Amino acid sequence: MSKGPAKTIIDITKGFAKHQYICSEEISTAIYLANELDKPVLIEGPPGVGKTELANTAALYYKKALLRLQCYEGLDETKALYEWRYGKQLLYTQILKEQMQEVLEGAKGLKDSLDRLMEFEDIFFSEQFLESRPLLQSLTSEEGNVLLIDEVDKADEEFEALLLEILSEFQVSIPELGVKKAQVKPLVILTSNNSREIGDALKRRCLHLYIPFPDAKLERDIIKARVPEVSKKLQVQLVNFVQGLRELDLKKLPAISETIDWAKTLILLNADELNQELAKNTLNVLLKHQQDIDVVQKEVPRLVMASDA
Amino acid sequence: MERVLTDFVKALRNSSIRVSPAETLDATEVLEKIGYDNRELLKNTLSITLSKTPEEKEKFNDCFEDFFREKLSSDDNEIKDSQQVPAEQKINSELAQNLLQDSYADIELSISKAGEEAEIREIKYFTQRAVFSRRILDLMGVANLEEELNLLGQLDKSEMPSDLEQKLRNELTNLRERVSDYVQQQFLLHGDVSGEQLREQVFKSMNMGQIDRSYLHEVHSLVRRMAKKLANMHSRRKKNYRRGKLDIRRTIRDNWVNQGILFNLRWSYKKVDKPKILVICDVSGSVGSYARFMLMFLFSLTEVVSKIRAFVFSSHLGEVTDEFKGGNLENSIETALSKYGGGSTDYSHALSDFVSLCIDEIDKKTTVVILGDARNNFGPEKADLLKSVYERSKQVYWLNPEGKYRWNTGDSVMNTYSAYCTKVFECGTLVQLERVISTLLKTAI
Repeated sequence: MSKGPAKTIIDITKGFAKHQYICSEEISTAIYLANELDKPVLIEGPPGVGKTELANTAALYYKKALLRLQCYEGLDETKALYEWRYGKQLLYTQILKEQMQEVLEGAKGLKDSLDRLMEFEDIFFSEQFLESRPLLQSLTSEEGNVLLIDEVDKADEEFEALLLEILSEFQVSIPELGVKKAQVKPLVILTSNNSREIGDALKRRCLHLYIPFPDAKLERDIIKARVPEVSKKLQVQLVNFVQGLRELDLKKLPAISETIDWAKTLILLNADELNQELAKNTLNVLLKHQQDIDVVQKEVPRLVMASDA
Repeated sequence: MERVLTDFVKALRNSSIRVSPAETLDATEVLEKIGYDNRELLKNTLSITLSKTPEEKEKFNDCFEDFFREKLSSDDNEIKDSQQVPAEQKINSELAQNLLQDSYADIELSISKAGEEAEIREIKYFTQRAVFSRRILDLMGVANLEEELNLLGQLDKSEMPSDLEQKLRNELTNLRERVSDYVQQQFLLHGDVSGEQLREQVFKSMNMGQIDRSYLHEVHSLVRRMAKKLANMHSRRKKNYRRGKLDIRRTIRDNWVNQGILFNLRWSYKKVDKPKILVICDVSGSVGSYARFMLMFLFSLTEVVSKIRAFVFSSHLGEVTDEFKGGNLENSIETALSKYGGGSTDYSHALSDFVSLCIDEIDKKTTVVILGDARNNFGPEKADLLKSVYERSKQVYWLNPEGKYRWNTGDSVMNTYSAYCTKVFECGTLVQLERVISTLLKTAI
């Protein structure tokens, strides 16, 4: 990998394209930097532009396992990091109770018993009883992996604080066991839909990539890669149509994932070019709110006309 | 090259992109890998490492284009061959030689060198541009060259200036233009914005009544930022209140698997009530502008405060909540002020209007905030009305935009009313307002 950075970045773009992920130069630069600097990447952008998919593809490209942590409100360390196996610990104490007889046999007086008890190996808090969750798994795995922390904005702010140690030092401190450091640093990708501002402390530790809606050319390339059956003409038309939609004032703008779905739908309907009737009937694939559909219905003739250009 | 990066970071900070030292270090590390050769790569890389929100990325792009302005290498092709300069011996100054022989880029370099010597980084105000241009030109030795050119003109007896002189004069004009471009660019990077910061600081500590209308827009964005900061702070604090009591029923049910031993404790969470705030603003002439900022502030806080109702009065009192919820704050404030503002203040009337309008709404979770100077035009006080509000509500805050030393002078009846307030604040500047609202949120939640 001692090639020049520009070359490596082109390699990444090509490699991702092989897995049907068409990325802009910015995206591949971010992946390159994340690898070079061992820094997590925070990806922001509207829903459906391929943030999560980027992590999937990165895992495929680097041939590493993908560990995914989906964030939600109320997520805490017991679900993200580690948890003790209380049930097993409970059983262990019961076994211990039975064994105690043997250990203490022949002991004279309270002090002696206590000394013996102290000599006894205590594994109540040990790795055997540790249930690792995605974050810890990612750190302890020996082959390295891609860790996707999805929709980090959905988690509480306290959770962000928990992430800080992991993201900057690639280690966790477990009070009972001490510090666990990663053998192989994972490639960490965080995504956010911006439902809440991510804290500065977290942002500072990450590279920041913003993926906007793609321009027409990039979107055509994506459609070509994802839905190769689409005829050239239809491909141009549908991308222009969607690009036109994004200029309207809608509640939820159609993203790439919607364009792909729509292309697939049109293929299913055996269409090789776009017309008003077809567009009107399949709008519900692109738009997810009835209000939006109502707005767009009126605009369909204009958009279809414009899409031929 | 490190100097370039630190300069660039300074420029970014000036465009109010927050770059921490740690991020600068990251960028240094990256640049060692990728170098400065590939412009597009450089831009992407720095954008990924240094700017952390979509808005910042936009600003970053502008700033990058400004800072790493592409050298117009096409101009290089201007013929610079020395054969065209026969009378060289007469012109000795270094600058002349450079102008005649060096490439565009070299001259650019010497401009920035001179710029550094002239401490162009210290440029703060746009009025300083001429001074700095002059200083740079002097440092480059323009005065010498001019003198020599004049001499040359005198030596030459012919009417027409010689080719050499003509050429040098042209180059000199070009140079002047380029220096002034350079200074302008440096000013954009280093100057202007610290001016803006200064202005914001002034706004914050200035008496709100004296802020000129024409700055309203800027102040508004400032207020919004302050409000956002408060909202962040308090939405965070709110979470701590969620620690509830042990939920025994759920604990037992969930712990069947552990042979009935209570390992996994279940907690019942307290439901968090967002506070209810009623704001009464005096909008008569003297206090109107305070009311404007206060309402701006409060309505920017909707993240934390969901239930807020606003009333304004001068003589009559009316509710303006819906106007504000609509979104465009500036317009709604104007309409509210024109509808209710302007009359002479009558607290007794306003209070009785308020009591008859919404005394039933007030309960032990309600905070009532009154903004006014308590100048009653020697009318009746009707403090008993305020008392009834005080008794029903959780707390009553009175914010007085006048300085404390003026309370109870003339027709001000602050003393009478303050007896029925949980707290009274002096609240004349944005900083004071911020502090008051922060206290308010702390106690109201």
